[in-house]
Amino acid sequence: MESDRTKNVLIVDDERALCQGTKRLLEDEGYCVSTAENGSEGISLGTCVEYDIALIDLKMPDINGLKVLTEILKAHPNTVCIVATGYASYETAIEATKIGAFSYIPKPFTSEELLRLLNQAEYKREILIEKAKWTKEREERLLEVAFEKTRLNTIINSISDGLLVINKNSEAVLFNPSLLKFLELDNIKIEERIIDRLHPELSNLINKVFSASKKEKKSYSAQIELKADNQLYVEATCSPVVNHDGEIAGIVVVLKDITNLKKIELLKSQFVSMVSHELKAPLAAVNGYLQLLSDKSFLITEEQKQSFILKSQKRIDGLLKMINDLLDLSRIELKKIRREIENLDLTELIKSAIELFQLNLKAKNISVTFNAKSNMPKLKGDREEIGRLFTNLIGNAIKYNCENGFIKITMEYLSHFIVVAIQDGGIGMKPEEKKKLFHEFFRAKNELTKDISGTGLGLSIVKHIVDSYSGKIEVESEYKVGTIIKIFLPAFEKN
Amino acid sequence: MSTDEKKKILLVDDDTDLLEQTKIQIENNGYTVVTAENGEEGWKIYKTEKPDAALIDLMMEEYDSGFILSYKIKKDKPGKNIPVIILTSATFNTGFKFGTSTDEEREWIKCDEIMNKPVVIEELVEKLDGYLMEKAN
Repeated sequence: MESDRTKNVLIVDDERALCQGTKRLLEDEGYCVSTAENGSEGISLGTCVEYDIALIDLKMPDINGLKVLTEILKAHPNTVCIVATGYASYETAIEATKIGAFSYIPKPFTSEELLRLLNQAEYKREILIEKAKWTKEREERLLEVAFEKTRLNTIINSISDGLLVINKNSEAVLFNPSLLKFLELDNIKIEERIIDRLHPELSNLINKVFSASKKEKKSYSAQIELKADNQLYVEATCSPVVNHDGEIAGIVVVLKDITNLKKIELLKSQFVSMVSHELKAPLAAVNGYLQLLSDKSFLITEEQKQSFILKSQKRIDGLLKMINDLLDLSRIELKKIRREIENLDLTELIKSAIELFQLNLKAKNISVTFNAKSNMPKLKGDREEIGRLFTNLIGNAIKYNCENGFIKITMEYLSHFIVVAIQDGGIGMKPEEKKKLFHEFFRAKNELTKDISGTGLGLSIVKHIVDSYSGKIEVESEYKVGTIIKIFLPAFEKN
Repeated sequence: MSTDEKKKILLVDDDTDLLEQTKIQIENNGYTVVTAENGEEGWKIYKTEKPDAALIDLMMEEYDSGFILSYKIKKDKPGKNIPVIILTSATFNTGFKFGTSTDEEREWIKCDEIMNKPVVIEELVEKLDGYLMEKAN
């Protein structure tokens, strides 16, 4: 405890006998005493170490005691200083207390007088130390609070969701920059009636929370189009802040940007529309032929009958293929979550894919060359997906090829990518066809592709797979000359 | 049908099966039919065959190929001289709606009617008869 600690006392006096005598006296009383026999020594000791109490003689040969007092207090304002003067000069004593001395004692003084004064000085010293401690703590506390507040502000100002807190009078209490951005406002004044400046759907939502029953304490959410034409769509959530009486003290409004989500929803429903359109067409065609076949009022030749039946079968085949491709497309999406990654040898995979098409190649008399550079790294991927990728590409190269045509496949390793190029000397594409190449259901329709069947999904499946491996596709093509498709798949050499 | 020579209908659709079926159906109702498989071909055939009316599928090489061809035909012979009916399955269920209720639509949709696919052949023939009768008067 502070009161049990041995107090350090400094005596500054040029009267050696008095110095030593006082020292002995105080040491007997349990003080720890240091002495200085002149002013400069006194300043030196008193400023270097923080003494609890300093007893300073005012009249000294080299430096005035007041100066010593001043210097010690400058260095250690909490040292309790007592000045001693043999002149009983009250002006000097008062001067000393003005500078900061605790008290003065006229010389000569008795031991009792000194000890009594020292006792008071000790008490004063304890108070000073306590005060210093509390001041320091208070400063630290304030700093902590300021830091927390800054931290909180930094967090609130950094979040991308818009935040608005209103009180029970619908006046603004707190908000962040994101909110200003969403509402396209330059500024909000604290305590302004902000609800009047809000989008009507948003104010309705807020009013819903206010009017909800006390017991409910429910949050309300709504999707609100803040800017027309889908430019800014937000999900607004309003939550009540309830005080301990159960009364609403205010509402916290959070705005979350869902514009992209809405765009994706739109794309999805457009895709569904397209799919149903593509599925209906073959069914309508088959239905049409069946109608003609079953209607007695039509005079159809036997030849026509056979043709109708064959064509119907062809459309049904196409429909089944399309459904399979659609299932593949959705499987690819699922695969992204449940891939089985292996170290794949692409050379082997591509050779297998070519094998699959042996009959088709023979039928059109197409020659295939495959050159792979040696030392190709393995590709980390799902066997089924990568297999499908090359099957689709090689299948296309055969489908859109001419009789006696060629297919040239090369593979090399270039700046961390495995590059596979598949070239055919087939039909090629017109520039406008190339633009739509990877669109779902797109199929080139010109006189050279008339008899080629397909679903239009093969290449969009290819693109999906390549994208999901963070790869790239490049297409070069010239109508009636041929096409080169280059696939870039990231792979790293083993060290 | 009047005793005049058979009216000629231009039929444009990229679905060759549908083209064949509809041709048989319409010819069975006393018309002559010439066909084309896309907008470009349709325009060529229109110019050489000079049909009395046109039935055009909407989505062919472009999403609105039908509208484009219809526009060209109407510009060539404005008014109800060559009745043009657009056929499409992209209505109702898909949420697409075409019509001539707004100024913008009236500006670029130049056809006499938009009919839903699959067409009921009797309805189609009835409409054709109606438009061609109007034209005759």
